Amino acid sequence: MKTLDVQNIVKKHAGNAGGLLGILQEIQVRYGYLPQEALRIVSESIGYPLVDVYGVATFYRSFSLEPRGKHLCSVCLGTACHVRGAPKIYREFKNHLGIEAGQTTPDREFTLETVNCLGACALGPVVVVDGRYFPSVNSTQVEEIIEQTRHGFDVELIRGDERVFPVEVSCHRCNHSLMDPGYLLDGYPSIRVTVSFRRKHGWLRLSSLYGSHRVESEYEIPLNEVVSFFCPHCHAELTGPTVCAVCGAAMVQMIVRGGGTVQICSRHGCKGHLLDVA
Amino acid sequence: MARLTSLEEFLSFQEQVRNNRERDLPCLVICAGTGGQAAGSNDIIRIVKRHILERGLQEKLKLRITGCQGFCELNPFIIVEPGRNLYPWVKMEDVGRVIDAALQGMVLEDLLFRESEHYPCQHCKDDIQFFKKQKRLILGKNELVDPIRIFDYIQEGGYTALADVLEKNDPEWIIDEIKRSGLRGRGGAGFPTGRKWELARAAGDGTGRKFIICNADEGDPGAYMDRGLLEGNPHAVLEGMMIAGLAIGAAEGIIYVRNEYPLAIKHATIAIRQARDLGILGKNILDTGFDFDLEIVRGAGAFVCGEETALIRSIEGKTGEPKQRPPYPVQKGLWGRPTCINNVETLCNVPLIINEGADVYSRIGLPGNSGTKIFSLVGKVKNTGLVEVPMGTTIKEIVFEIGGGSIGKAAVKAVQTGGPSGGCIPTAMFDLPIDYESLARAGSIMGSGGMIVMDENTCMVDIAKYYMNFLKSESCGKCYTCRKGTQRLYELLDDITAGRGTLQHLDLLKELAEVVADTTMCGLGQTAPNPVLSTLRYFHEEYIEHIVDKKCRAGVCKDLVGAPCQAACPIGTEAWRYVAHIARGEYEEAYKAIREENPFPSVCARVCDHKCEEKCRLGQSGDHPVAIRALKRFVADNVDPSVYQPRRAVEKKSAKVAVIGAGPGGLTAAHYLSLMGYPVTVFEKDSKPGGMLFSCIPEYRLPREILNKEIEALLDENVTLMCGHTFGVDFTINSLFEEGYQAVFIALGAQKGRKLELEGEDAAGAFPAVEFLKAYNQNGEQLARGRVGVIGGGNSAVDAARTALRQRGVGEVTIFYRRTREEMPAFEEEIEAALEEGIRLETLVTPVRINTADGNITGVEFQRNRLGEMDSSGRRRPLPIEGSDFKQSLDTLIIAISEQPDVNSFTQDPADAIEVTQWNTLKVDEHTLACSRPGVFAGGDVVTGPNTVVDAIAAGKKAAVMIDRYVRGEELRQVRQPRLPKVYIEPCATGEEGPTKRVKPPCNVYEKGGDELVEVEQTLSEEDARREALRCLRCDLEFTAPEENGSDSVQTGAAITVEAAR
Repeated sequence: MKTLDVQNIVKKHAGNAGGLLGILQEIQVRYGYLPQEALRIVSESIGYPLVDVYGVATFYRSFSLEPRGKHLCSVCLGTACHVRGAPKIYREFKNHLGIEAGQTTPDREFTLETVNCLGACALGPVVVVDGRYFPSVNSTQVEEIIEQTRHGFDVELIRGDERVFPVEVSCHRCNHSLMDPGYLLDGYPSIRVTVSFRRKHGWLRLSSLYGSHRVESEYEIPLNEVVSFFCPHCHAELTGPTVCAVCGAAMVQMIVRGGGTVQICSRHGCKGHLLDVA
Repeated sequence: MARLTSLEEFLSFQEQVRNNRERDLPCLVICAGTGGQAAGSNDIIRIVKRHILERGLQEKLKLRITGCQGFCELNPFIIVEPGRNLYPWVKMEDVGRVIDAALQGMVLEDLLFRESEHYPCQHCKDDIQFFKKQKRLILGKNELVDPIRIFDYIQEGGYTALADVLEKNDPEWIIDEIKRSGLRGRGGAGFPTGRKWELARAAGDGTGRKFIICNADEGDPGAYMDRGLLEGNPHAVLEGMMIAGLAIGAAEGIIYVRNEYPLAIKHATIAIRQARDLGILGKNILDTGFDFDLEIVRGAGAFVCGEETALIRSIEGKTGEPKQRPPYPVQKGLWGRPTCINNVETLCNVPLIINEGADVYSRIGLPGNSGTKIFSLVGKVKNTGLVEVPMGTTIKEIVFEIGGGSIGKAAVKAVQTGGPSGGCIPTAMFDLPIDYESLARAGSIMGSGGMIVMDENTCMVDIAKYYMNFLKSESCGKCYTCRKGTQRLYELLDDITAGRGTLQHLDLLKELAEVVADTTMCGLGQTAPNPVLSTLRYFHEEYIEHIVDKKCRAGVCKDLVGAPCQAACPIGTEAWRYVAHIARGEYEEAYKAIREENPFPSVCARVCDHKCEEKCRLGQSGDHPVAIRALKRFVADNVDPSVYQPRRAVEKKSAKVAVIGAGPGGLTAAHYLSLMGYPVTVFEKDSKPGGMLFSCIPEYRLPREILNKEIEALLDENVTLMCGHTFGVDFTINSLFEEGYQAVFIALGAQKGRKLELEGEDAAGAFPAVEFLKAYNQNGEQLARGRVGVIGGGNSAVDAARTALRQRGVGEVTIFYRRTREEMPAFEEEIEAALEEGIRLETLVTPVRINTADGNITGVEFQRNRLGEMDSSGRRRPLPIEGSDFKQSLDTLIIAISEQPDVNSFTQDPADAIEVTQWNTLKVDEHTLACSRPGVFAGGDVVTGPNTVVDAIAAGKKAAVMIDRYVRGEELRQVRQPRLPKVYIEPCATGEEGPTKRVKPPCNVYEKGGDELVEVEQTLSEEDARREALRCLRCDLEFTAPEENGSDSVQTGAAITVEAAR
């Protein structure tokens, strides 16, 4: 845990006296829990007695003072899920993971929690694992969900998956194609742009497969770095009118051949994107 | 996007956006709300985009991605405009076809929505039952806008109301308009919104800050309309807040939203940013001098923060404990400043009222309860989703007409409204119009609009416990009686559901509930007892069953139920146990487990109505239940019955017992009494024992050789069978007592066919079903000829039809039933087999006249029915269609509408009378089967009316126990203990092949002229049986799995247990 990180988070919420909830939420997202040290720093930085910070941290259900597992399984126990058999699903998770709600497996792989309602009542019983919703779960599926999680959902999308397809793009200023048939990524011509960050200036190639997040660049870009994108032909900045819905960084806009636009987030590592086809 | 700097600019911009609409292009509308994404709509969207790009359809086809549209269970779905064709559950491989059809202006009938499997498809979304009855003034917009595009909202008339009020610049006018509209808070309490704004406007010194807060902390489990609105149309919420801000003089707004709604937070964040960029939000909006800006505060998972004072403290960064009111937030709220808190749905109503005018709005709904209300209709209902209806709509209309009634076979029992603060309303009260006051009078509340449908498989005590568990963990702990009271209420309910309850628990529950309501400070505590009080009020008998009978009829409370299959069986057969043995290949053990509780294994393996399968957890969790009956059949057909030797009492008893009727009930009683050492005489009026098994169940379902063998095995040296002895003719109750019998069990059955009450039903060629079946089964008489019609929809109707088909000289056989096939009480597999044999089924018809000539049947006139409103059983009532009469020529008419017992003999002689009910059945104490006369017991169809074989066996077992107690002078009614699985049977590994489908037993299909006696359903192969047995979820292991330190396997072993005596 870095003191500076926590202080930066506090600083972001400065001026908003009621920002404690927001600060703690951000720390929780950053570390997966509220480390004791972080609470001390928050208390000192905002001049709130530690006991009150601790009070808030323990009052709300979404905060955890213990480190969480790599994967979070949330079993919805809302009324609609309850009458459709959610308690059995919860018991299955308990049996398979060997832990109670709020606990983490000794190998730090899984944290199990129950939630009151996820508002997806039509699909009950609902289970959310790492943000992925599993609708109408029955007790025989629980083991499978756990195993699938253990092996990872984000297994690289491969060719042959019909949800993955190539998109040809051009510069929205000069309309010059950005495709580089001489340099393949994922087996398709890559998209070539120029980027600059931290006084570095060089090429960057993106996979043209919609659904692939593969990127190669001349210089190694630090994670979470917001990068400026330029057209290699007219040198215009490719930044579009909107910002990323996921992280708030500027979106980079390109024209899709045949009509439409594609926007990708300018922050390295953020998967925010938007494809408009009309 | 350029910032708009004046009202004129906004209006011309709006004009421009609206003119850009390309309404004539076909458009695919896909929901990508929380429900949509969970069901995979993102994949569908990608495929659509791929088609558009690869086929160059950008100029020919539009795509609109929306937020939640409310009918979530159809996800992923596509609506194709302009025809508004709705394709539910779209698969990726169907997308291409849907696009082609959309481009050609065609529809794909095979993919279109259908109300039910046997119904025609619906071409237009608006004709679907779910949507047809709704008035979607607010929700309807969600379908029209992409929530992350402000232009969509503006195109649909968004921010017009804002422009209007900015132009008028008259806050008093806004408040007056809202007051006149009659809008009341949709968060649940129903405080008049206009009045709240007025108070907020008047509050403060006119200089300092004021706040408008949107309460999107939708904490009620099962309610998600606020999520739907914020996620699907966030700009409407923003517009409502801005108008509210202008009205009360606030420049700052906060949306307090649950952390559990990530997509709603995302969409609201984008909406705020876009509105700011466009100049609709921020300083000096559209150059009108109005400043207003918004921020989002995320909740952190505390239900109590939905309470307004707690919500304010939470925004201030403190623990969410409520504060005493007054001062109310409108006077002293956030940071001590006047604060107006409105719910999401309330705010969405505001632009509508400004646009349409208060007069128009106030005419919607009821006076005092104007406008529409969105409910989230969830739980055990067929059509789950968000439902928007005018206030004053009845619960029945919502649950049965819009919701389509129960999701499965179990009937709807109640709805729960208002979340943890609300109550349960039983079906008997479903005519209740929904408005704030009616619901309060019924002991519930409107709340935010959650409406959770519960069916016969929902336990009301468990529901009360569920809510108490919720509330005890959500209580903030400030008030002692809430903190401790909810905890104690929970413990009392837990005692009851675990079988530790006493009748005193109920008094305590009620008293404590009232104390909690009276002595707590905020809404959470004051309403916390509602779930307990309302279930106590309307479902008192379920509490009594849990406490006195140690029984949970819904099969939910684990400690009372044990394994659901066993609990569902009227004779307590350990179905899980024999299924487990079959999986291991231990068939003899399996037979013993069956035979221990059931003297008729082979009979029940063929004709039982398998209640065990209805309650099977596999079936209740979306899969098909284990084929338990077919497994029983496999064992009964493959194991020699002699492997089981019942335990007999060593000493003979001297007291003689008489049993009247040698049906399954009578024979069972005689068998168990014999095992206990009693000499028993069974009197039977027919020439052979077996009752209905022999005289009514056709041989193709129950071969006589098997039946006779099973009966013979029960007739041991203690049992004397006297055939040809008719009760009331050859003997009476008095004469039995005079002959020295100490107790009598009456098991006469119900053998008198009910009449249609039409003229001519006694004509030649017309028969009651029982008479028709008996003539054939007992004497081989073939009464049917020519064209045969059977009226009725139960098992005896199907039996009669299939028997008739097997008779000589019979042409066509038709079953006439007044409702639809789905509502026929006969076993589904029997109906299917009948249809397969060539029997016709004519549904939705009622006989109105019987035609005769010379005393012979010539035909029947029927009237066609349509399905009307649902009745309280959740079935739609058949209503006659005027002028739809038609004639059906028939040579034989079989009336199979029901049977009743013949109880005349019990009432004729006052000195020998037994009390009879108004339904012409014998009156007994349901717990002891004792009749009005001491020493006389009765059970089976003569008490219940026509019922199943297994219920008759259960009555026989119970009668044996009761008669034994009676003869020995013991108390008849004794405390029942729940029977939980005790024997540990090690589960076997499931093998490699993974989950399998429910097995279907092989069948011999009867063809006209073939051997009419051949049994239709056949035995499973060993391989199929073992595979099917492996499907069992083994609910028993929860009770029997050995602890680390050794197993706890105790055999019960008793030939007859107290269990039989419930």
